[in-house]
Amino acid sequence: MKVNGVPVTPPDPDARLLDYLRDDLGLIGAKEGCGMGECGSCTVLMDGVPVCSCLVLVCQAEDADVTTVEGLRRTALQEAFVTGQAVQCGFCIAGMVVSASALLAEHPDPTDEQIRAGLEGNLCRCTGYGAIVRAVREAAR
Amino acid sequence: MPAEQAREIVVGTLEYVTDLRFPGMLHGAVTRSAIPHGRIVAIDTTKAAAMPGVRAVLIGADVPCNRLGPADVDGPVLADQRVRQVGEAIALVAAVDEGTARRAAEAVVVTVEPLPVVADPRTALSPEVPKLHEGGNLAGRIGFASGDVEAALAAADVVVERVVGTGAQEHVAIEPPGGVALWEAGQVTIWCGSQNPGLHRRKVARALNVEIDDVRLVAGPVGGAFGARNDDPMPVFLAVLAKAAGAPVHMRMTREEVMAAGPKRHPFHTTVRVGFTEDGDLAASDMTALADTGPYVTSGPNVLKTSAEMSVGPYRMPVARFDGRVVYTNNANAGAFRGYGVPQVAFALETAIDEAAARLGMDPVELRMRNLLRGGDRHGLYGHAVTPGLRAAETLAAAAADEWWVSRREWQRAARGPWRRGTGIAMAVKGVGLGSGRGDAARARLICDINGHVRIWAGPNHTGQAIDVAYRQIAADVLGMDPARITVTVGDSQLVPESGATAASRSMYAGGSAVAAVCERYKAALAEAGGPARLVELGRAEFEATFHLPDVADPGLIPPKRLGDHAPHLVYGCSAQVVRLEVHELTGEIRVAGVVCAVDCGRAINPGAVIGQAEGGVAQGLGFALMEEHRLDGGRPLTTSLENYLIPTARDVPEIRTLLVEGDEPTGPMGAKGMSEVVIVPTGPAVAAAVADAVGVRPARLPITPERLLEGLR
Repeated sequence: MKVNGVPVTPPDPDARLLDYLRDDLGLIGAKEGCGMGECGSCTVLMDGVPVCSCLVLVCQAEDADVTTVEGLRRTALQEAFVTGQAVQCGFCIAGMVVSASALLAEHPDPTDEQIRAGLEGNLCRCTGYGAIVRAVREAAR
Repeated sequence: MPAEQAREIVVGTLEYVTDLRFPGMLHGAVTRSAIPHGRIVAIDTTKAAAMPGVRAVLIGADVPCNRLGPADVDGPVLADQRVRQVGEAIALVAAVDEGTARRAAEAVVVTVEPLPVVADPRTALSPEVPKLHEGGNLAGRIGFASGDVEAALAAADVVVERVVGTGAQEHVAIEPPGGVALWEAGQVTIWCGSQNPGLHRRKVARALNVEIDDVRLVAGPVGGAFGARNDDPMPVFLAVLAKAAGAPVHMRMTREEVMAAGPKRHPFHTTVRVGFTEDGDLAASDMTALADTGPYVTSGPNVLKTSAEMSVGPYRMPVARFDGRVVYTNNANAGAFRGYGVPQVAFALETAIDEAAARLGMDPVELRMRNLLRGGDRHGLYGHAVTPGLRAAETLAAAAADEWWVSRREWQRAARGPWRRGTGIAMAVKGVGLGSGRGDAARARLICDINGHVRIWAGPNHTGQAIDVAYRQIAADVLGMDPARITVTVGDSQLVPESGATAASRSMYAGGSAVAAVCERYKAALAEAGGPARLVELGRAEFEATFHLPDVADPGLIPPKRLGDHAPHLVYGCSAQVVRLEVHELTGEIRVAGVVCAVDCGRAINPGAVIGQAEGGVAQGLGFALMEEHRLDGGRPLTTSLENYLIPTARDVPEIRTLLVEGDEPTGPMGAKGMSEVVIVPTGPAVAAAVADAVGVRPARLPITPERLLEGLR
């Protein structure tokens, strides 16, 4: 497994990927909001595809290239989240940024409907999504 | 201006309270009740305590003062005699890792003799229903009449009666409660999300029988609040467990634990009668409300106090009456939630006004407009004079001028197939602060260094609304300084002088005013001394200020001695909202197409943050209106996780147009006032009005699920 480009050897194949990232590797960006794949706060990329890391066992990712929010290239996306005031409590934001980066990789110039569909798996309770959608739109420009 | 921590958040490096790790740290877990009501016969911790890796197992008898508040009805820290709801905490375990702690918590054997369950608040006060507390099942009552309501209703030309209900809403802050506690030299530091660090310090000090100064609460960074972190017992659990284990303890609730044991918005059964003259002038209103607080008192009576005051909305009311009761049941414990008792009563009143508009053949905007309070008018129930800064009429006018309201008939006519279209409008008002007679105050501390760098410690705390940024903006404005040369700290009880809760729409108004006051003091001293270096040299570089929220100057009909019992507000914020939506006439499905949110916020100090609060409040209001309800059957939760309790996603929330109706609040900092609660209030009735416009049926219950709507259509 590679995490953010670094080869790693997880000690426990039965651990959840989320726990391995947070507890063993200290990558605390991915958060646990529900533990059952409903909230998306733990979203990471596995070979470029967004997944809920609470639903993935380490053994399922043994050959994967895992990218967490910490491993994303600093881009206009994060800047747009900051300046567009899309961050309130911020607990969902790492997952949002990861999902949005996958969305922009697939649709460099997404429609609003594509943005909303791409972020549907990430719950936010603070913003009502408006500023987040605007930030993704802004980053795509 | 962006939130202070946003740059760390977007790259994933900000440590939230549940992210903290300490050397030698243990992990905690809670044994919880599986049944809604029963007598505890025995608690056997032997097996759990003997498990490898377990360091401490605690029950109620181990807590020095086993109470979460000053009275028995505040509930125990750990249930030791009776359990009164599913999910109630019975034992705490600390172990070397989280898995071991959870397995040990499961291994605690609790023998409970089941008792009859009080599940229906409507019968909770009947003599044959078991009493949940010594004093019976009435947790509080508030009644007030400004005159002879029956006579006024009898004389009215049109009287509308509505019997409505609203459900228990779960906050669903995305970070479940949790944190870390660490004892050093007899003092404890607790890192745990809190909207009220001072209150939590008192709770911890009481439970452990220690001095309040020995308890430090660092209340963030925290992943959301919305009222849920007001009554949260988590800081107490952490402190108690870390003390018993003799090591730092980390604990976090699972989402399932939050769903069962976390607070909820009080479910209400509400009946309203509203009378009008044939010209559309309000003649009287009479509201009766029944709120279910679950097993413990928490915020119940205070919530009802707000319901009473807002039961007349932002309207002139010649005569009004409110009679509300809050009762104990074995349902989920209810607590503070954004809007604090107002969404429930506003749903009753606003839908009644719409019904009256239909009967009188009047436009709903025109009917409201002719009855709205203007700044300086007297309140519809209590008769006290309200702030001249109230902009209810301007707010309604702004919403009604939006093209989505103006062109609603054209939009409706363009509907296709089974999707029928409708547009609704509603209005709400909510007080700012705890209300008169409550001694509400906030404080700020300021220190300057020789180079003129200013550090400010102020409360209330930040739980997502970037209130610390607003404090910095206010300080920069008063001092005429670059905001970059000002540092603001919130949320640490050791550093921030007691400032009360991040609640009651008071953070900007109260905290901002305290910051402005301390900056004024500093500014005056600076002018006198000739510069910051001189102040430091004189040993006069530290300042403190307290802002007391103003009471109403004239309490109207409220006897002055009873001012705090009713806690009327001087300052109110308003919101008017337009909702346009489509209803599938065969399936009952509802798609919201757009919301206009006009909000009377005083002067918007950080407009981006205000818009964010408005959009977030509307989204939460749409959840309350259409999908969210914590359901129980005989006290047993049916909605147990985010799999069966759904909140709005990015696809459920439409474009929201926020219109800031600005204008100075004369008593507020830089003219600002609170606005983050009122924006959740009109959404429910505006949705109901839009549904009625689309399909001709006025919903009587929130949430308006497809099943309920279809039932109404048949």
